[in-house]
Amino acid sequence: MEQRIERFRYDDAVVRLFTGATVIWGIVGMLVGVIIAFQLFMPQLSFNLPWLTFGRLRPLHTNAVIFAFAGNAIFAGMYYSTQRLLKARMFSDLLSKIHFWGWQLIIVSAAITLPLGITQSKEYAELEWPIDIAVALIWVVFAINFFGTMAKRRERHLYVAIWFYIATIIAIAILYIFNNLALPALMFKSYSLYAGVQDAFMQWWYGHNAVAFFLTTPFLGLMYYFLPKAADRPVYSYKLSILHFWSLVFIYIWAGPHHLHYTALPEWASTLGMLFSLMLWMPSWGGMINGLLTLRGRWDRVAADPVLKFFVVAVTFYGMSTFEGPMLSIKSVNSLSHYTDWTIAHVHSGALGWNGFLAFGMVYWLLPRLYKTGKVWSHKMMELHFWLGTVGILLYIVAIYSAGVTQGLMWRAFDATGRLAYPDFVETVMQLMPMYMVRALGGILYITGAILAGVNMIMTMRMAPAKLEDPEAEAPALIGDGSELDPPREGRGAIAWTTSLAWHRIWERKGVLFTVWVAISVATASLFEIIPTFLIKSNVPTIASVKPYTPLENYGRDLYVAEGCYNCHSQMIRPMRHETERYGEYSKPGEFVYDRPFQWGSRRIGPDLHRIGGKYPHLWHVRHMEEPRSTTPQSIMPPYPWLAENDIDYETIQPRIDALLMLGVPYGDVVNNAEQVARDQAKQIADEIVAQGGPDLADKDIVALIAYLQRLGTDIHSGDTAGR
Amino acid sequence: MRLSDIMGHADLATWAERGLVIFLVVFGVVALITLFRRDREAMDAAAATPLQDGTLNEEQATRQSGARE
Repeated sequence: MEQRIERFRYDDAVVRLFTGATVIWGIVGMLVGVIIAFQLFMPQLSFNLPWLTFGRLRPLHTNAVIFAFAGNAIFAGMYYSTQRLLKARMFSDLLSKIHFWGWQLIIVSAAITLPLGITQSKEYAELEWPIDIAVALIWVVFAINFFGTMAKRRERHLYVAIWFYIATIIAIAILYIFNNLALPALMFKSYSLYAGVQDAFMQWWYGHNAVAFFLTTPFLGLMYYFLPKAADRPVYSYKLSILHFWSLVFIYIWAGPHHLHYTALPEWASTLGMLFSLMLWMPSWGGMINGLLTLRGRWDRVAADPVLKFFVVAVTFYGMSTFEGPMLSIKSVNSLSHYTDWTIAHVHSGALGWNGFLAFGMVYWLLPRLYKTGKVWSHKMMELHFWLGTVGILLYIVAIYSAGVTQGLMWRAFDATGRLAYPDFVETVMQLMPMYMVRALGGILYITGAILAGVNMIMTMRMAPAKLEDPEAEAPALIGDGSELDPPREGRGAIAWTTSLAWHRIWERKGVLFTVWVAISVATASLFEIIPTFLIKSNVPTIASVKPYTPLENYGRDLYVAEGCYNCHSQMIRPMRHETERYGEYSKPGEFVYDRPFQWGSRRIGPDLHRIGGKYPHLWHVRHMEEPRSTTPQSIMPPYPWLAENDIDYETIQPRIDALLMLGVPYGDVVNNAEQVARDQAKQIADEIVAQGGPDLADKDIVALIAYLQRLGTDIHSGDTAGR
Repeated sequence: MRLSDIMGHADLATWAERGLVIFLVVFGVVALITLFRRDREAMDAAAATPLQDGTLNEEQATRQSGARE
């Protein structure tokens, strides 16, 4: 049958939109990062404003960089490459537009709500439920557009980049929906369906795999498309890409629990996470090797072409990060690195080096093609961006690696008498100040490069012709199911057939089958971990004396969440002598059964707070929140004066308790008069503050926060919980 | 006996350790197989897919990604 040649046009308008958004949001996200980097050694930069504190801005920085910068870069690259790899215009121009503008609206919503303290406090999943629903809807729009394009494609076989895009769409949908399951209590306040250990497990199943399926698999797809294009060489080994893809997709999803070593997470889950993380070494390096060897015979071009320079450094950082990740998952290494800046350095080597440089390389490669200019406006500016970015990354990560190892060693150091060598937490923070300054300098260099990219982009756009027509392409229409293209099976034994990977070529022309296998890979690994975590009772032994938070304590806890305290303070004392000496008895799984969401944290810029309850009088907390340096002269914590000014919103207390009751929290009689119970407790604490010589703070937010802080970690020591 | 009891006594951590060994062996074997470049023509054609995107006049404008100054 004769094949009919069809002419069609690619939709590059949407790619231009996403490319522009990538650079703009990149600069915004990095700027917030630089601001909070400075706040770590100049805490006065919060200017006593609630929306400028580290706790509120840090989630804005992470969300902006991940979902706005990296997200728009992913979509730009995916829309460009998907059309060309499938030889079809996107399924629907309207859906493309809805996707773009919907995504930008979500970003703006995040930029408004996070500084206002509207947060779920789950890292990289901070957005509250209305925005979560918007994310899910836009993701569905994107999925329909992508799979619709696959359905009308003119290319029989799906190339490796498309596999990675499929994995991204499927896995992110699963992860995002299940981690964000929550019951709304108010318009912008919800409580997680999971509590304590199980919430922590779900969060890091998501958190780790957000890195896997938002910052790794789509970028690998981009690497497999744009690196061969820029080098004008086919990918080094297609077989290796098959191995890379399936092993990565199957293994990555298991590794989340390595974020919770030595916590109250069950030991089996922790070990499982560690071992699967170690397995990740091989596919990750397989991918890196495949990327770098694609440049064989083209290394001479690297010196002259900034795009290839960006790509080479990006792939190198991919290799370094994916070596370091499994290393950090080894329990003994993790015992030193966890809660320190080491993790922050690891994340930034991946984000700035791998994601950032791949994104900028791709943008520079795309600009002259999208705007028909034949070249980027300034070659020298691209070169300067490359070197500023590279030096910036190195300054950043070397300083923060040093900070992490320094603080980790100081925390665990004992003197000759067997006492903690640095019992005062703030001593270990002060040692980091020079490194924090170098880190900020690195950040400035990196964002300067990004600003140069913005200038270069604008000037390139100005060189564009007045009318930009969509590029025209031609390809034969697909006829039949393509089975005639399948490799012959006859004469090959089972082993030969299997090892030839010829069967995979059959999968590659069956988009639905391929997608189903990806979904099975992701779901299988998830269920093997999630089901035992929820089923095995011994995972979370209950403690009889642990009772639900009172309505006022719960309100105070919600303030703790809103202020983003978890960004600097953990609530998880690991079973290690240096931790129990410093903070008190190690944390038990049963202590968190009413924690929705869990507040274990992932970094200790300040000390752990799990046993803070009863450690200081109420008045100490009042003074500390008003001006942290009045109680701890070297503290880098910002002041929270508004807590002593804002009134407790008693009207919202009952709906909060009602929602928790629906989630199974046994509130007993309190459920009918939560507001009055809260008022009574607030009066009692306010009176005690006055009795201690403090101001009259009746009905102020700080009273609720103190109620929560004084409760923390005390239940296991108290059989008497009467009156709560 | 309930499912939760069975899973509670399954000694799950050891399965992960066995899985690591099995994975190492399988991955090593599969990795070696990738070095046997059977079906080389088909695989090489697939590897070159990004270089043939069907565009009629795009590449002529920008063969190189950067300008020379």
